[in-house]
Amino acid sequence: MSLVNYVIYRLSQAFITFLGASLLIFLFVRLLPGDPARLIAGPEALEEDIQMIRAQLGLDRPLYEQFATYMVSLLKGDLGTSIKYSTPVLDEILARLPYTLVLAFTAEALAVAAAVPLGILAALKPRSLVSQLVSVLAVVGASLPVFWTGLMLIFIFSVELKLLPSSGSGSPKHLILPSVTLAFFLIGNLARITRAAVMESLASNHVVTARAKGLSLGKILTRHVLRNSLIPILTVASVQLGALLGGAVVTETVFAWPGIGSLLIDSLFFRDYPLAQGVIMFTVGAFILINIVTDILYALVDPRVREVLWKTV
Amino acid sequence: MSEILRVEDLRVYYHLPQGVVKAVDGVSFSLNRGEILGVAGESGSGKSTLALALAGLLRPPAVIESGRIIFNGLDLTRLGEGEWRRLRGRKISMVFQDPSTYLNPVYTSGFQVAEVYEAHRGGRISRYMDLVKDLYRKVKMADPERRVHSYPHQMSGGMKQRVLISMAIAEKPDLIIADEPTSALDVTIQAEIIELLREIRAETGSSIIFITHDLALLLEIADRIMIMYAGKIVELGRSSEIREKPLHPYTRGLLSVLKPERKQKLASIPGSIPSLIDPPKGCRFHPRCPMAMPECSRIEPKTIKVNGRIVSCLLYEG
Repeated sequence: MSLVNYVIYRLSQAFITFLGASLLIFLFVRLLPGDPARLIAGPEALEEDIQMIRAQLGLDRPLYEQFATYMVSLLKGDLGTSIKYSTPVLDEILARLPYTLVLAFTAEALAVAAAVPLGILAALKPRSLVSQLVSVLAVVGASLPVFWTGLMLIFIFSVELKLLPSSGSGSPKHLILPSVTLAFFLIGNLARITRAAVMESLASNHVVTARAKGLSLGKILTRHVLRNSLIPILTVASVQLGALLGGAVVTETVFAWPGIGSLLIDSLFFRDYPLAQGVIMFTVGAFILINIVTDILYALVDPRVREVLWKTV
Repeated sequence: MSEILRVEDLRVYYHLPQGVVKAVDGVSFSLNRGEILGVAGESGSGKSTLALALAGLLRPPAVIESGRIIFNGLDLTRLGEGEWRRLRGRKISMVFQDPSTYLNPVYTSGFQVAEVYEAHRGGRISRYMDLVKDLYRKVKMADPERRVHSYPHQMSGGMKQRVLISMAIAEKPDLIIADEPTSALDVTIQAEIIELLREIRAETGSSIIFITHDLALLLEIADRIMIMYAGKIVELGRSSEIREKPLHPYTRGLLSVLKPERKQKLASIPGSIPSLIDPPKGCRFHPRCPMAMPECSRIEPKTIKVNGRIVSCLLYEG
């Protein structure tokens, strides 16, 4: 029961965060220089036409009035209509969402599948080649710009080897290069955190107790080392996933991947206020949701966290 | 009395970048079935390293350089990890100093005790919960039914030590090594734990090696006492003999600290334990010894028997 209470508590908290975020987003989007009406009307347009378009979009009214209208429809579940596409913002986001979800989860899954075993091996043999590889990956992976990695992969696998498509979507093959690009960026950091966490667990006294009991090496590792190392790994992986769900803007652009990230860039270039607001709101929501899920995972891993979390309700 | 453990000239060194730490440097003794052997010494005397060596829990950079540990006729220094695994927790078990850090915070206490049975008998953990409850009753844990489901952070220090003791006695081992099992506990709990160890010895016939810096405690609980200094045994004898007639000046110093003369201020042995990377030549205690003779800084004392007792001091040689 306490889990249900906790989720209700966190969701109600999230609602308040959401309201605050929507005000900030509303203001920041309008701080961008430029005018959507002028963009729609085109460079040769007459001042009257621009004023007319502005009135149509409701941009001539005072800011607080625009905000009130926006909030009222938001609470009704209406994110407004895109200026550029003249379609509901929600439809635009929902059309792009599957692509972002698939890319984000694939990239993170790849990163976890590679980084966690690497980190564990590196921790078990701190002076081995694997451990040095982790250190190198951590620096290289995080410092190489994603667009460069992406272009290199395109060069090797699309241009030279002609094995994989360089851009677009539609088949599982299209997913490979963008997700590998993103995963490469994430692996180093995640492997380094895993190594540090596992090394710390390995050195802890309860592992000595586990050995003194006569437990097998496998059980010592899975029960008494890995489980105790999970919290930092979960933390980093969930922050990474949150960032990916907000749209991997550069990667999506390089590979012409029709996800949330490229939608955001699009909407910002066009000063499409409702669409930009909608996309950013979605990102905020994704982050809040992932935070809640992560906290619940912490609680499942560690009974001490469980106690503290359930008590906050 | 039959001998269960014989340690012969054991040397355990830590190979550190700064040099080789000779933590245990030529230690020999034997232990009889059902006996409680107390090991006393200051921090850095090598007593905890000795404990880990006997339980097969040394990890690099600690290495057994030479010597033999004969346990039930088996030389433990020659065992592989697989053979050790079957021995640990079943024939040789350990109770550690700080029960809080030696329990895993993410599992219930009952689960962690049941792991001992799982490791040596196989099968599912849940099968052994009733046995764990029996153990908890044996170690006088309050409310065993509930406590098997408690996590370490929900238990007091005394309870956690009872959990560790439950693990140590689960398979009725021949040898229990208790390394400062009461140092982290307050005095009343300390007395209860000591009483408990005594009862366990009486019931299971396990031999116990009880390691502590608290000589007063050993005088009460141990059959024989071994005094260690800087990686070596300086004296070994029956508790009553050590109490009544200590031979080694270091032992006398330890005892005088326990029983200060009325008018004296808090007594202490001047100086501190030497570096084990570069120990003093001759007798390692000579820089602090009130009875040091000129030759003490040159000649390393041999271990000699005086009326069935063992002492390592030039005063008793020749």
